[in-house]
Amino acid sequence: MTTLISNTEHQDRDVHRVLLGKKQILVTEDEPLLPQLERAGIQVEYQCREGYCSSCMIKLLWGKVSYPIEPLAWVNSGYMLTCCAIVKSDIEIAML
Amino acid sequence: MSYSTFNRKKFDSLQEPMFFGENVNVARYDQQKHPIFEKLIEKQLSFFWRPEEVDLSNDRKDFLKLEEHEQHIFLSNLKYQTLLDSVQGRSPNVALLPIVSLPELETWIETWSFSETIHSRSYTHIIRNIVNDPTKVFDDIVVNDEIAKRAISVSKYYDDLIELVNLYNTLGLGVHHVPERGDVVVTMKTLKKALYLTIASVNVLEAIRFYVSFACSFAFAERTLMEGNAKIIKLIARDEALHLNGTQHMLNLMMSGRDDPEMAEIAQECQQDVINIFVEAAQQERDWAQYLFKDGSMIGLNAQILGQYVEYITNVRMQAIGLEPQFATKNNPIPWINAWLVSDNVQVAPQEAEISSYLVGQIDNDLDGADFDDFDL
Ligand code: FES
Ligand SMILES: [Fe+2]
Ligand SMILES: [Fe+2]
Repeated sequence: MTTLISNTEHQDRDVHRVLLGKKQILVTEDEPLLPQLERAGIQVEYQCREGYCSSCMIKLLWGKVSYPIEPLAWVNSGYMLTCCAIVKSDIEIAML
Repeated sequence: MSYSTFNRKKFDSLQEPMFFGENVNVARYDQQKHPIFEKLIEKQLSFFWRPEEVDLSNDRKDFLKLEEHEQHIFLSNLKYQTLLDSVQGRSPNVALLPIVSLPELETWIETWSFSETIHSRSYTHIIRNIVNDPTKVFDDIVVNDEIAKRAISVSKYYDDLIELVNLYNTLGLGVHHVPERGDVVVTMKTLKKALYLTIASVNVLEAIRFYVSFACSFAFAERTLMEGNAKIIKLIARDEALHLNGTQHMLNLMMSGRDDPEMAEIAQECQQDVINIFVEAAQQERDWAQYLFKDGSMIGLNAQILGQYVEYITNVRMQAIGLEPQFATKNNPIPWINAWLVSDNVQVAPQEAEISSYLVGQIDNDLDGADFDDFDL
């Protein structure tokens, strides 16, 4: 589900669709998903925003995300950490 | 069987399970079976703080101005937190060190417990600063019924495990007759089961039980009251987020069978017990909220909202260890709390800036290295 990406290929401006229920949000690869969801007015749980507390974990139903730094929190397959995951394709997510 | 402080056997610690394998001999960290625990140690060390760095002189003035029922809320929460950290400052050491088998996990347990002693010291710092007679507050912790109920729930699993491990280390496996207790069955299975339930109950303690108290502290601070206290609570919350990561990893590793195949079976068998531990704790925390607000609520918070928050956070914590969320509350009823819980904006007073900014700087450097520049919040 996750692949590490090198810093050099980090600048691409690809826009991806994030499906959440009936909503669709456009996001880029420039920053993690969490701040982009927040700007779209979607309330997502968080605490550390650094990948160690697991509070921001949501379901990743399909699609690809990657973590520039391997997070400290345990992530079960089918889930993702919004605070530190970069969206790499169109994805569908679900909250609690 | 019997514990040795330096196991003379030669063995490969990378092949050991987390618990109930060989006693650890060489404290080495150049290689780890589970690197996460080494990372947690490093992170916890980078979080080091001292309560005295936080100035509480305004909190004293604020406290005197609080209404009586608000003082009750504030002090009761402090007492409860004092209880929780009293337990946490010793129990991981007492219960887990005799059975741990990996050097990195052993040191994580010690580092974790040590950070709890900082929390305990911070309560003394707070209480000393806001009341004239700290003894009155501390003495009530052992006699107050509402606190006592919680003391039983948070220490029960630890105590059961410690009893079993004591028998195991002195008498070995078997059925042992203990005076006033009857026959106690000590098998690898009963030991591992007691361990699994203990870790689950510690996860609940750190990941759920603290949060009612956190919410109240931040609700005061939202009104610019007891802000020194809120700073300390932010630092504690940051530590607790690491601690819950530790127990989540232990539970998830056990469930996966990757660490010890027998543990996966036990996790399977104990699943309902663990769900019950979460659900009962949530109920106790809702009851606690009722007790806090028995003489009146505070602006922005009441027993009902806090109860919903408890349910919500319990759902979040259950999901993190692969359990089905048990409560209907799917949204955070007090989303403002996260802006306080986030470690990023731990504001420091000028006198403490030197130490803290050094630590914060280190963390930032790590992020820069990975091209996370836009991570500014
Ligand atoms: S907010 Fe802590 S792991 Fe994402
Ligand atoms: Fe603590
Ligand atoms: Fe803790």
